[in-house]
Amino acid sequence: MVVVDGVWKRFGNVDVVQDLSFDVRPGEVLGFLGPNGAGKTTTMRMILDIIRPDRGSIAVFGGAPGVEHQARVGYLPEERGLYRDVPVLDTLTYFGALRGLPTAEARRRATRWLEDVGLGPSMKQKAAELSRGMHQKAQVVATVLHDPDLLIVDEPFQGLDPVNAEMLKGVITAQRDRGAAVVMSTHDMADAQTLCDRILLIDKGRRLLYGRVPDIQRAFSDGAVEVRGGGIPMDPQRYRSVSEVSVANGSVRFLLHSDASAQAFFQELAELGAAVERFEVSTPTLNEIFIRTVAGDRRAEAVR
Amino acid sequence: MTGPSTEPEERRARRGRAGLRGSIGLLGIVAKRDYLRTVRRRGFVFGTLLLPLGIGFFMTLSGFVSGGGLGIGSPDGPGGPEDFVLLVANESPLDLQPAAPLTPHVQLVSREEGLRRLGAGSAEELYVLPSTYPDDPTLLRIDARAAAQPLGGLQRQGAQQHELALLIQTTLLRDAAVAPDVVQRVVAPFTAIDAQTLSGAPVAADPSIASFLLPFAFTMLFVLSIFITTGYLLQSVTEEKENRVVEIVLSSVPALPLMGGKILGLGAAGLTQVVVWVLTAAIAAPLLGDQLGELSSISISPVTLILAVAYFALGYLAYGAMFSAVGALAPGSREAQQYAGIFGFAAVVPLIFSGLFLADIESPIVTVLALIPLTTPATMLMVLTLAPEPPWLLIVASLTSLALFTIVATVASARVFRATLLLYGVRPSIGRIVGAIFARG
Repeated sequence: MVVVDGVWKRFGNVDVVQDLSFDVRPGEVLGFLGPNGAGKTTTMRMILDIIRPDRGSIAVFGGAPGVEHQARVGYLPEERGLYRDVPVLDTLTYFGALRGLPTAEARRRATRWLEDVGLGPSMKQKAAELSRGMHQKAQVVATVLHDPDLLIVDEPFQGLDPVNAEMLKGVITAQRDRGAAVVMSTHDMADAQTLCDRILLIDKGRRLLYGRVPDIQRAFSDGAVEVRGGGIPMDPQRYRSVSEVSVANGSVRFLLHSDASAQAFFQELAELGAAVERFEVSTPTLNEIFIRTVAGDRRAEAVR
Repeated sequence: MTGPSTEPEERRARRGRAGLRGSIGLLGIVAKRDYLRTVRRRGFVFGTLLLPLGIGFFMTLSGFVSGGGLGIGSPDGPGGPEDFVLLVANESPLDLQPAAPLTPHVQLVSREEGLRRLGAGSAEELYVLPSTYPDDPTLLRIDARAAAQPLGGLQRQGAQQHELALLIQTTLLRDAAVAPDVVQRVVAPFTAIDAQTLSGAPVAADPSIASFLLPFAFTMLFVLSIFITTGYLLQSVTEEKENRVVEIVLSSVPALPLMGGKILGLGAAGLTQVVVWVLTAAIAAPLLGDQLGELSSISISPVTLILAVAYFALGYLAYGAMFSAVGALAPGSREAQQYAGIFGFAAVVPLIFSGLFLADIESPIVTVLALIPLTTPATMLMVLTLAPEPPWLLIVASLTSLALFTIVATVASARVFRATLLLYGVRPSIGRIVGAIFARG
């Protein structure tokens, strides 16, 4: 649905995006992760044709990004708002018309959506008269009003209260489930881990990680196993598979030899008479992976 | 795809056509929405109705004051009212004989009769030619009221004294046995002047109030439209920036149709206001005929009108594009107004030289102002109405220069608009603006 191939973008003397490549597929949420200033918003704006790449190519629905695809794209920018002195329904109708809906249809859909998110009684009020939470709901409606095939959401949960954050998660999931492709940039790794099928981690415009979440977690796993129970020997010498033993958060953490398997280690524990209550192959969280990767990349850059 | 592409030619052309259709459609949506939103604002409605209401108020006030004796201008006298009484008590040896065409308001009375009429309120002044006149040229005026005269009274007295002077002049000339036709020439030495150039060709008709005011009316209308629409454009662009709506809009509408839609929609709103004012003036002119004099009979040749519309439209497009870019690059509405003032000043520059336009329409300064695109519209609107014949060479040259500038300004402004619209609260550097103008793709 979206193919970004070797894209570069420079502002002034800074390469904001460097040789970036990835794709986005129908029915998936691609988590676009990276620290502030990594180039996420710039990349999203290039996909939306708000700005153009200096080099490389971007294909959206098989062609160049442009006005002919605008009706199939929904965008929730990080910097977002509504016309303050215009009734919310009128603003959403206008946005719907800009996305290719006939005015009457845009108005009908906006009315239905606003009622669905609990803004029915307020739809004829000016935005300036609404609370911040109401604004956020209306902005979400503006993004999905026209049933886009590609949804691009930039820091969607920033500033949202928990209720609205849950509402937005529901909307994103529903859009994905109906077959839309979703590109979501976020700083919240917990949200990314919950919602994203794949992630793309970039820093300083360069791609650092890209792939399915479980695959990346597995790749970053150090082979450790966490065990909870009674009669667990703490001396690593008593195990064939273990190189190191430590205690963390009430569990015993075993670091296995590189050639050892978790299954063989489980058998060893049984042979040693340990009463195992919980046995878990440890995988790093996306947050740990994010910090480790970005910090590692910067350390490597410092060394270079 | 952007950048190097392997897309077949035909498919690319098809997509290009679809894109163009889409852009025009989006331009229409933006234009319609900005137009309707603007004309529904209370400020717009109030501003539009201000002129008609003002004219109505003026007419009412004028009618009211006229009823009390105050008129504005008269072809018969030096700015005095037409309807007044001139009581004259002649005690001098002169044989005063009032005659209708020159001294229609004179009523010869005795001093006693005059004083009685002053007391009865049927007259305000009595002029007495004492027995010592003309050896002593002092006359006596007896006023019915002791207080200082209001404006209307002063005007009336001016007219009375003008007519009294004519009465005495004709009497003295007649007593000196001067022939009546000579008397006529003395009191009215000439009624018209036929002007010729060195080659003997007739010079255009005498400059009238209308011929002086028409170019300024045209130019002021242009400048006014520029400023009105500028205000709407800046308000619209900065409002979308400040409300953080602009990125949502830009993700739906490319920069050029967005800018074009705003210029078109808000320009139409500005023109709506101007059209209402012009129609009001057109309707009011016959009603105000007496007060406006020659202005009520202004006529413009179709060629002048067509050229004026061309300069107006091109000038508006150029200014509109630049003001959109100014709105986009300014960090806030206050800065936008300041930046816009610089360009707005250029529109007014020709008015500063208006004296020169009247004195010498073929001056090199006029030519230079006509060829500088930012001053072309206002300059040429004045030239078109002041020049006896359309200066075709200057018209072609200035239209070409203005058209080229409008194209360049629109493209450059669209690039600046696109590059700077998403900079929230940041003033872009000159380098960045220049870079945006010359950016490729």
